Amino acid sequence: MTTAIESLRDKDVSFADIRHESHASTQINVTNGIIRRFGRATKSGTVARALVGECWGMSSTSESLSSNVCKNLVSEAVRSAKANARFSRKSLDLSDVQPIEKTVWQKCQLDPAKVSTDEKLELVMSLDKAQKIDDRIVNTNSVYNDSKIVFQLVNTVGSKLEWDELRITSVVQSVAREGNRMQFDYGVKGGSAGYELLKSINPEEFGGNCAKGAIELLSAEKPPSGSMTVISDGDISGLIAHEVCGHASEADEVVKKRSFLTDMVGVQVGTDQVTLVDDGTLEGVSGRIPFDSEGTPSSRTIIIKNGVYEGYLHTLETASLMGVLPTGNGRSQDYNRRVFARMTNTFFDSGDWKNEEIISETKEGLYVLKTLSGMEDVVGGGVQCSALKGYIIKNGELTQLVRSMTLAGKVLDILKTVDAVGDTLHFSGGGACGKGEEDFISVSHGGPHMRAEMVVGGG
Amino acid sequence: MNIADIADKILSVSEKSGATQAEVYAIRVRTASTYIDDNIPKIGGSMIETGFGLKYIIGKKIGFSSSTLAQEKPQDLVERAISLARVNNEDEKFVSLPEPKKVSDSADRFHDSSTASADSTILMEKAMEVVQGASCDNVTVPNGSLRTSSATFHIRNSLGVDVGSKGTIAFGFFTAKSEDNGSVGEGVQRCWSREINSIDYHGLGQMLKEQALSMLKAKPFKEKWEDSVAVLAPSEGTEMVYNLIGFAVSGENVNKRSSPWSDKMGEKVASENITVIDNGLSERGLLSSIVDDEGVPTQKTTILENGILRSYIFDSYNANQLELQSTGNGIRRTARELAGRFSSPAVCAGTTMEVRPGTKSVDDIIGEIKQGIYVEHFAWPIVDAMSGNFSNEIRNARIIENGELGNPIKYALWVGNLYESIKGSVLVANNPEIHDKRVMPTIAFPNTEIVGQ
Repeated sequence: MTTAIESLRDKDVSFADIRHESHASTQINVTNGIIRRFGRATKSGTVARALVGECWGMSSTSESLSSNVCKNLVSEAVRSAKANARFSRKSLDLSDVQPIEKTVWQKCQLDPAKVSTDEKLELVMSLDKAQKIDDRIVNTNSVYNDSKIVFQLVNTVGSKLEWDELRITSVVQSVAREGNRMQFDYGVKGGSAGYELLKSINPEEFGGNCAKGAIELLSAEKPPSGSMTVISDGDISGLIAHEVCGHASEADEVVKKRSFLTDMVGVQVGTDQVTLVDDGTLEGVSGRIPFDSEGTPSSRTIIIKNGVYEGYLHTLETASLMGVLPTGNGRSQDYNRRVFARMTNTFFDSGDWKNEEIISETKEGLYVLKTLSGMEDVVGGGVQCSALKGYIIKNGELTQLVRSMTLAGKVLDILKTVDAVGDTLHFSGGGACGKGEEDFISVSHGGPHMRAEMVVGGG
Repeated sequence: MNIADIADKILSVSEKSGATQAEVYAIRVRTASTYIDDNIPKIGGSMIETGFGLKYIIGKKIGFSSSTLAQEKPQDLVERAISLARVNNEDEKFVSLPEPKKVSDSADRFHDSSTASADSTILMEKAMEVVQGASCDNVTVPNGSLRTSSATFHIRNSLGVDVGSKGTIAFGFFTAKSEDNGSVGEGVQRCWSREINSIDYHGLGQMLKEQALSMLKAKPFKEKWEDSVAVLAPSEGTEMVYNLIGFAVSGENVNKRSSPWSDKMGEKVASENITVIDNGLSERGLLSSIVDDEGVPTQKTTILENGILRSYIFDSYNANQLELQSTGNGIRRTARELAGRFSSPAVCAGTTMEVRPGTKSVDDIIGEIKQGIYVEHFAWPIVDAMSGNFSNEIRNARIIENGELGNPIKYALWVGNLYESIKGSVLVANNPEIHDKRVMPTIAFPNTEIVGQ
């Protein structure tokens, strides 16, 4: 790789890099007590990028790594960049990019590769068994997944980097049925960690609670629809942080003025209880990365501080265009996909309310729990966050359980109604974030309990 | 060495090492792409990936391993699968890999050479046609991507399956942003085809522009309409219908009892206006191929006939449990992304879901609706396939009142239960479009709510 990048002599190319990735993962899926999948997957590939004017070319292959392969990739990337560059309106200046030579290997207490497959199988089987608490549980699903990606990166400013990313996840999902009614619940535990994270699971509790949740949902009512006071749990708060504020803070959407948060630095966008952070350095959570896919060290970026908008998430390119330092948010799904501005671990920071206090001091409202899905609205600043369940709050007490619903509204309106923020942060057990419907990367989202005014649509 | 020869070698090593049965899936994918950013082609890309997946079976114990074989040899892939199979529990429901069956079509029936040979420069020119069609004084194209992939795959198994197929896909996704005195609007359009030259790129750009400009006039919807009809453009309706019906008729979900239709064969589960076919040989289908990803010949399976449940779809694993034949629905590939598909074993999934078009035009259907909404774009159309419940944020839509399309609206939720809605007076238009793995027309769904914000 180094030879190929050092031998690049083309005055039109202002920057180039080569990244090699080796992926290895283990998957165990158990359904109704039967192992449906027990697999170990590996793949590796190399991608070269070249910058001409303001346009990039990229070329990747799964062929074995060699000097010739790398030279061919660089050559193809340069060809594509030059073809695009006839539309180029300016030249990007990446001359401020500093060379880094570093190797960072992730530490963990129990390397999943050294844990016996018997032990992993036993864990997943016990999770599945623990869900069978009632005849109404008609389907149990339990998943184990570990993954390790090893990266090597070189670029034309002289960086030489090696690092790895280790992630582990366990998921349970129970399906309950009574007559024609079917409902499910789920549980996830995961993060950027070794097997020690899953060792801490109590299977009876983890699997059993999931099944209990599915059975309870069989008697859940349809939720109310309309504008109301909503208390979101940390998971839902995190989804709002990620989908609406996070995506719109990705600076590629800002430099072309597509984001509703363009030109918002210094503007009060929420109450003083609202602080939003993206932090790729956080140990243990799924979006932790030592370097992004461009070799920039990850960092902690304050997006909103006490209600005032502070800053965006940058790649090398967007940082150059906006005259700031890159934040380590240039990420790609893998060697086959482009690098662009992406989140890492995005969360609303904690406040000083006790969770119970937020509920007891709400006369009427809806307590919303557990994410199902979300979608960004970078242009309009709207929210679509779907939740699995909730409870109607009456006179400060949780009453009727209600089933799936969607939260909506304009985020800048919602943030201006946040009047209570909990003191305990919760991070999702891991997840894959897409942008523009694809390019999935590992991230986490999180937050405390929060109270705000939102629109609810109950399905 | 071509991928069929490597598959042969992996199978041979597996059989010699004691596999009772073994299956090798080999795929080579070539992809070209261009990304539009702020009206210009920002990134041009090319990708080539080759990968192999091995299912190694000892009795009823199954191990699966996969690799690009860039850093390891076929022997390593086999040894890894053996080690997993040995420690695995027996899967009592596993009967056998598929037996070979006669395949009459040519492997390249669904392969388009123009699409396969397109490079990022050709894609750049076509993507810029979209930009030119969309751009005007107050409309830009901030984001877009256009991608072509050609895939050659081959399946070898120890029972004699030795077959492959080739296919091509072109996919595009574009957004437009309109601005006028501080007001903004967005248009979103996707295009799908097996043939890159069959897409009207300039026309796509014009639709994008019209959609974005229309949204400048959109007013917030502040009412609550109960018992309303929602007419969904094919891009939105197909996503919801496939997610619902594809889940309910999956042999895997039927066998594990998570499908609400697991005991409804022969019953009326939808309006008589709805006939749905899973067609592995669909002329327009992006996953069309002469065999599925287990090497079973693909076919046309009628799932719903005038609302009556006629068949589930099966891969070999799930079909064998019920002593039925696979319907050619053992699938690894996806219509949007062909890279990396060797990393997972085949699962029971749809090939191309076709909804039989009706006889009425979209205008005719709108003309029959007293109160409702015509939706061109949701934030993301989703439905809980177990319960049928949905609640989706509407991004681009127009109200329908007394049979006429009214003003564009924004900030509303479409709420209801899709299993219940499709039992009602569903209206199906005559304009089928291809979106992802579905060929479906505009459909009007009754008995739903529209909730303003």
